[in-house]
Amino acid sequence: MTTSRLQPKDSHSPMRRFWRHPLLAPFNQPEAWNRLATAVNPVWSLTEPRARVMRVVDEAPGVKSLWLKPNARFGDFLPGQHVLLELEINGARHARCFSISNAPRNDGELRLTIKRKDNGLLSTAAHALRAGQVVRLSKAQGDFAPRATAGKLLLLGAGSGITPMMSVLDGLADEGSTRDVMLVQCSRSADDMIFADELLKLPARMPRLRVHPHATASQGRLNAKKIAELVPDWNERETLLCGPDGFMRIVESMYADAGLADRLQSESFGRRAAPVDPHASAHAVTCENAEQLFTVATGQSLLDGAEAAGLSPRFGCRRGICRTCQCRKRSGTVMNLLTGQISGQGDELIQLCISTPQSAVELAL
Amino acid sequence: MIAKTRMDTETLARFEAEIDALRLEVLADIGESDARHIHRMRHIVQGLAIGGRSALMFGIGPISWVGGVIGLSLAKIIENMEVGHNVMHGQYDWMNDPSLHSQTYEWDIVCDGDHWRHSHNVEHHDHTNIIGKDHDFGYGMLRLSDQQRWKKFNLLQPLWYLLLALNFQWGVAVHDIKIGRFVKGRMKKAEFSERMRPFLRKAGRQLFKDYVLFPALAFWQWPRVLLGNLVANGIRNLWTNAIIFCGHFTGNVQTYTMKEVANETRGQWYLRQILGSGNLEGSRLFHLLTGQLSRQIEHHLFPDLPATRYAELAPRVRDICARYGVHYNTGGFWKQYASVLGRLFRYTLPTKRRLGAVQSA
Repeated sequence: MTTSRLQPKDSHSPMRRFWRHPLLAPFNQPEAWNRLATAVNPVWSLTEPRARVMRVVDEAPGVKSLWLKPNARFGDFLPGQHVLLELEINGARHARCFSISNAPRNDGELRLTIKRKDNGLLSTAAHALRAGQVVRLSKAQGDFAPRATAGKLLLLGAGSGITPMMSVLDGLADEGSTRDVMLVQCSRSADDMIFADELLKLPARMPRLRVHPHATASQGRLNAKKIAELVPDWNERETLLCGPDGFMRIVESMYADAGLADRLQSESFGRRAAPVDPHASAHAVTCENAEQLFTVATGQSLLDGAEAAGLSPRFGCRRGICRTCQCRKRSGTVMNLLTGQISGQGDELIQLCISTPQSAVELAL
Repeated sequence: MIAKTRMDTETLARFEAEIDALRLEVLADIGESDARHIHRMRHIVQGLAIGGRSALMFGIGPISWVGGVIGLSLAKIIENMEVGHNVMHGQYDWMNDPSLHSQTYEWDIVCDGDHWRHSHNVEHHDHTNIIGKDHDFGYGMLRLSDQQRWKKFNLLQPLWYLLLALNFQWGVAVHDIKIGRFVKGRMKKAEFSERMRPFLRKAGRQLFKDYVLFPALAFWQWPRVLLGNLVANGIRNLWTNAIIFCGHFTGNVQTYTMKEVANETRGQWYLRQILGSGNLEGSRLFHLLTGQLSRQIEHHLFPDLPATRYAELAPRVRDICARYGVHYNTGGFWKQYASVLGRLFRYTLPTKRRLGAVQSA
């Protein structure tokens, strides 16, 4: 989560440049205007895409859809794209990526379909949302969609991996597409199948769509052999894949083995978290900007490790009070040397001088 | 003057653990109420600023002028002390709100944010009251301890203090440039101009806002806006100065030499923070207007905990201090401020320079 996501694009028009000049503060500070606008209507903002929750719909056990009406800052989206949904949880903002699960509609509403995870901070909070509440979004991002405009398609989804597929199918149906499309959707049982009703109705809008639901509880997990049986012409089809990590690995190696990796597009969020191992002697640290890789011993601070590797991050007190060395961690788990607290795996701020890695770590340094 | 507390290694370790435990306890409890507080403060600041500036620009007669000045002074005081100072300490970084981020926040004062983050968060808070390292001790112009060398210049220090108090934001703004070092030839011209640049940029913007832009927008009413802004900045200067001086320069506040703090443990660091600070007592509104800097001791122990938490921490820190025989310096505003002025006058005259004893482990 960076500020740039919330700021409008740089404009070179002289009028705009004049208006943005720091000497015109506070009149040109969007933050100040946003606060005033929010006081009138919480969904108004000059800079931030925000949306009002219109309704919350149960889709399957533990799965809910949020129907959102975004403000004008959100702009447009394409089928298959995703957004960052940002919620305030106990005072702190948290954001996660979710695929949009419908195609653009005339009323501008979009749908996010979210499966609640055990201990999932954001998914739990999203399920607690009620109609009328306002959430922050990013603009739509990503390019997960069929690249070719014609030809046979295969959509492989598992669990909540159906969400971008639903959006793509909805988009194709709106276009009146006559492409040969095959959807294979895995879920634990027929009851767990998300969008079961909608998928039943879809073939009426798309004559050459075939939907194959696969229940893993009774029919076993899909593997390369089973996929080839279900879709004999899989190697002729452009393929979109979304689902849990294990499922995606199976399909990815299937395509790689056949030399067809370029025909497969995958979408996943937060998969493959670096394994946590507090007993390892050292962990790899990557720096996003410096494109440098170094190792930091367990128990050694990231600041000491970075300096030993020849980097020179900003620092001040080296005892965890001044925050000069504070830096964004993109991924990985660290331990706070002062408090012994273990961090989350995702994007958050950490202080380099009092953080020691517990897994491989990626820093925005 | 009360002597510095000494503890043996074992006692010091227990003392350190008790303070650490307090910090963990509050950290675990931080959440929505703290977020609500800072949001509310920001709304109050914005409301007061809009109200105050409007009264100055469009008001008629002296009453609206006085009201405008009060509104704008309060807006600047709360923005600087309750929002700016605390946000820049990282007290609200956990909220993940880019507009409340410690490293990018910019406040309504001539002091550049990055300069402040260095001179205050790093130098002052890490090296609190270490003569020669904490440049906030005496602000390079006042002698407030017999560990500082006496110069003829100090004879007139009540006058220097008055000038500093009236122009406190400028004192703070030039603080991190280290002009003294340049004058003494210990800083190259290139480095000096490099350090001047952020100050000039920020000062230019602030002067333009308060003395050009807003007066101009009031057309023929410009004199009352200009004067009102000047007075509001002045009130903020006097208030912040008085509060900050009460925090570190009352009679019983201890100073340290570099030798004393060599190989300091965290427990000793905590001890130095307590003995080097002083609290003020007062109502809830008083504490709010000081940005909770009235609880300077707790602020120095836990600079990055949300400041509103100092109220619940204060009695517990005081209890720990009582049990370990550590002097807990506190009092009402007038008593403490009189003590500051007493100290200011005491060291105008030369006294024998005292060299600090090495802090026992």
